[in-house]
Amino acid sequence: MKQTAQDIWVFGDYRNYFQTRVTLQLLSRAGDLAVKTGSAVCAVVFGHNLDEYVKEYIAHGAHKVYVIEHSSLKKYSMENYVWLMERLAKEYKPDIILVGATSFGREFAPRLAKLLGTGLTADCVGLDINEQGILVQTAPAFGGNLLAEIITPERRPQMATVRPGTFQEIPHDYERKGQVIKIPLPKDLPKERLRLVHYQRKPHRGQRIEDAGVVVCGGRGMGGKNRFKKLFDLARLLGGEVGATRPVVYANWTDPELLVGQAGKHINPNVLFSFGVSGAIQHTAAIRDAGLIIAVNKNPNATMMKKADVAIVADANQLCMALIKELKKRIRS
Amino acid sequence: MNFNPCTKHKTVRKTVRNFVETELGPIVHEIDQKARFPWEVVEKMRPLNFFGLQVPREYGGAEMDSISYAIVIEEISRVCAAMGLCITVHNSVGTNPIAQFGTREQKEKFLPQLASGERIGAFCLTEANAGTDAGGVETTAVEDGDYYVINGTKIFVTNGGICGSALIFAISDSENQRSSNSVLIVEKNTPGFSVGEIEDLCGMRANPVSSLFFEDCRVPKSNLLGRKGDGLKIGLSTLDSGRIGIAAQALGIAQAAFEDALKYSKERQQFKKPLSTFQTIQNYLADMATEIDAARLLLYRACAIKDAGKSFGAEAAMAKLYCSTTASRVTGLAVQIHGGYGYSKEYDVERYFRDAKVTEIYEGTSEVQRMVIARSLLSKPT
Amino acid sequence: MLKMIVCIKQVPMVSELNWDPRTGTLKRDLAEGMMNPACHHALEAALRLKELHGGHITAITMGPPMAEEVLREALAIGADRCILLTDKRMAGADTFMTSFILARAIEKECPDFDIVLCGCHTSDSETAQVGPQLTEELKIPGAAYVEWLELKENVLRMKRLSDNFLETLEMDLPGLVTVTTSHYQPRYVPLAGLQDAYDKCDIITLDADDLKLKIAGIKDSPTRILKVYSPDSEKKNIEMKGPAKKIVEELLDKFGRKIGGEIQKDLKAYGQEQ
Repeated sequence: MKQTAQDIWVFGDYRNYFQTRVTLQLLSRAGDLAVKTGSAVCAVVFGHNLDEYVKEYIAHGAHKVYVIEHSSLKKYSMENYVWLMERLAKEYKPDIILVGATSFGREFAPRLAKLLGTGLTADCVGLDINEQGILVQTAPAFGGNLLAEIITPERRPQMATVRPGTFQEIPHDYERKGQVIKIPLPKDLPKERLRLVHYQRKPHRGQRIEDAGVVVCGGRGMGGKNRFKKLFDLARLLGGEVGATRPVVYANWTDPELLVGQAGKHINPNVLFSFGVSGAIQHTAAIRDAGLIIAVNKNPNATMMKKADVAIVADANQLCMALIKELKKRIRS
Repeated sequence: MNFNPCTKHKTVRKTVRNFVETELGPIVHEIDQKARFPWEVVEKMRPLNFFGLQVPREYGGAEMDSISYAIVIEEISRVCAAMGLCITVHNSVGTNPIAQFGTREQKEKFLPQLASGERIGAFCLTEANAGTDAGGVETTAVEDGDYYVINGTKIFVTNGGICGSALIFAISDSENQRSSNSVLIVEKNTPGFSVGEIEDLCGMRANPVSSLFFEDCRVPKSNLLGRKGDGLKIGLSTLDSGRIGIAAQALGIAQAAFEDALKYSKERQQFKKPLSTFQTIQNYLADMATEIDAARLLLYRACAIKDAGKSFGAEAAMAKLYCSTTASRVTGLAVQIHGGYGYSKEYDVERYFRDAKVTEIYEGTSEVQRMVIARSLLSKPT
Repeated sequence: MLKMIVCIKQVPMVSELNWDPRTGTLKRDLAEGMMNPACHHALEAALRLKELHGGHITAITMGPPMAEEVLREALAIGADRCILLTDKRMAGADTFMTSFILARAIEKECPDFDIVLCGCHTSDSETAQVGPQLTEELKIPGAAYVEWLELKENVLRMKRLSDNFLETLEMDLPGLVTVTTSHYQPRYVPLAGLQDAYDKCDIITLDADDLKLKIAGIKDSPTRILKVYSPDSEKKNIEMKGPAKKIVEELLDKFGRKIGGEIQKDLKAYGQEQ
């Protein structure tokens, strides 16, 4: 006999709300999973003045929202949040906990998993439920060419982190009803050993690559730091932004901020140019939602070329220069 | 007999490769084209012991074994042969003779500056009428009180334009060459010492090879290496070690050319197939790899014999002969595999091809190596 | 004296491992190993603290015997003591087990540490979990993705970028940090140091029995890998080759409208006018 289905939890990560809608995306996916397991979708949120978020979570599919609200939780606190989540999880015993792979989530989830004595799969690109009712977590493996299906067969809860942009949120519906469970702040919350002394929002430059209509991505095949810089000229001509692959960032050809991949930005431009990119999974997973993909590579068998709509067999650097020249001509005309 | 490199040697290779690929890789094309010596990289190499590879610890060196030494030179040359040349010449013929033949005072005076790279070393044998034939040397070092007065011109001096001190092969009595040849340490700031124009060479262009002029250049007698008449002995012994360095350099060039050719043959398509699927190209690649491997084994054997303290002249000559011949053949084939692109400066194989040729010429031409090898064969009792 | 522990992982040097599609196995042995870049930065951060405050650095790695190499490298640039955790029974450990084993080794070999430094993530798996989990195993405070750190008495002051916020944090010691690759550019290995690391230094090798571990590797890890596969989403695409100029013209003639859409310019038009 199957036991009563336990809940699927989504950690309510609301800092940076306007840029990172990963909690809403996870609620949507949790809803799909819940249909298969017959469970309820719950958001769990800590902080101060949370009404707005609670409303949003319900509007985006949460059946229940656990809330711990207190003025001392105003600032995001790793130690407090981990401690509170551990206590709640031990009390309510969810079957699954999903956490957005924000900077905070990527530290929060492994610490929580350790305290709960369970497994955790990072950066899942797919989540599903198999016939045994177990969560199958699909994640990139072994440096990027492969995908692995991972399960946590015995321990509970099953835990996964998911990058922002991996799943689509469902349209909000403020008519939707949900149960709000307010829990008072436990009195035995320990004193913090890690203190946030100061924080400020990082001033960000103009257009964000996540919002750009055209992205010009460069890989190792561009051949060098100076050659890589030409991509900025191309991007400027097309009103777009530049992205980079991991080897490029490691080689210090450009700023790590531009990394497009599992560990960096997920993008969804209408047009993606990909110059000298081999196409490791961490990268291709992050460009899945791109529209027209134009890849340039000397090697016609590169993975990236197979993912492209237009595969150009050429030296990336030379083609980039030729394209700049031709574009200038046509834009002027 | 163990043919597996030990983990130390593997790590030496990896760490040097990381350094040169990061620091020299991005500029190697530019410094070759502009014939520019990259001082900014030298600055970074100094604290890493590149200038005292085999100098004893007490003088600030790394005191490496000879196989490690060969690996360092091979790896530098795999990315930038001109810098490989600078380092091997500085170490094996510009510095090590002082460690080997110098007095305690000479070692204390000269080795720390050389080992730290504060001073770059050079070795001068070749003249307009001498080179392969050391007997033709015309530069004189005449005794005058506590000094030797040097007069003459040395040509094709590797590191000539950048050296802080040089070892000069000279004679004090032109009638009595055999008994009067000597090696003297000359510092750059010595009056009468001057550097000629940098040679415009086919390859190794980032190394400032130049002539050195000596006009009544007065050098204290305390700068005489060994004794008067030891010149030829020191010279020959130095050349044996120098050949290990040049062999390693040639090997590095060959390795680089092979790697590029292999990669290109897999990418480049003709008749809708990668080049690497054609048997002719496969044969080229197989020959290149085999020759490189054979060259490497010959080189490491010479190093091992050297470190065992045995006579290694013939083995060093074999290694130098085979490594340099291989470098020329392999770089030639690499250009061939690249076709028209290989002849273009856009690809690195063109540079390898130019750099490789001189390894068959300097530190004893291939013809001289054969002489050395044959002499060793024929001197053995039958 | 400041006692530091740096956890290091050896990772394959190439990012793309060869994979045999028929047998489904990885040709791991083809890849040379190297020190994981973030771990390298963590070691560099420790070396700089040591230069400023004095101290002692213990480097620990867990892996196959060949992982010894990254410890020799650590010795060559300034680590004082190295510990290699190697045992076939530890093979296949997931992050949960890895952090468990590392914690037991630290408790056995260096229980009075002040700071543990880890790389923020590894280049081969990128889970970024071992550091935070080790924090919990050791029951100490911890901070991940630290970009810069400074020691003042017994408090570690740190800066990091977290979800678009620049944060300044303070942590009581002993504590753990995971370090990013943004600030602590690792120094190169001096060749003399490398010779010493091989000729004059010993590495402490420990196995599961030394650590009195009853659980260790794959069978005690909470997660299981069901299958590994190559995603095959090949598109039917247009291939273009030839001289760069011709390709570019063809590309813009075919897709100029779409590409130019973003700047409200029909880039195809030019081609048609000609």
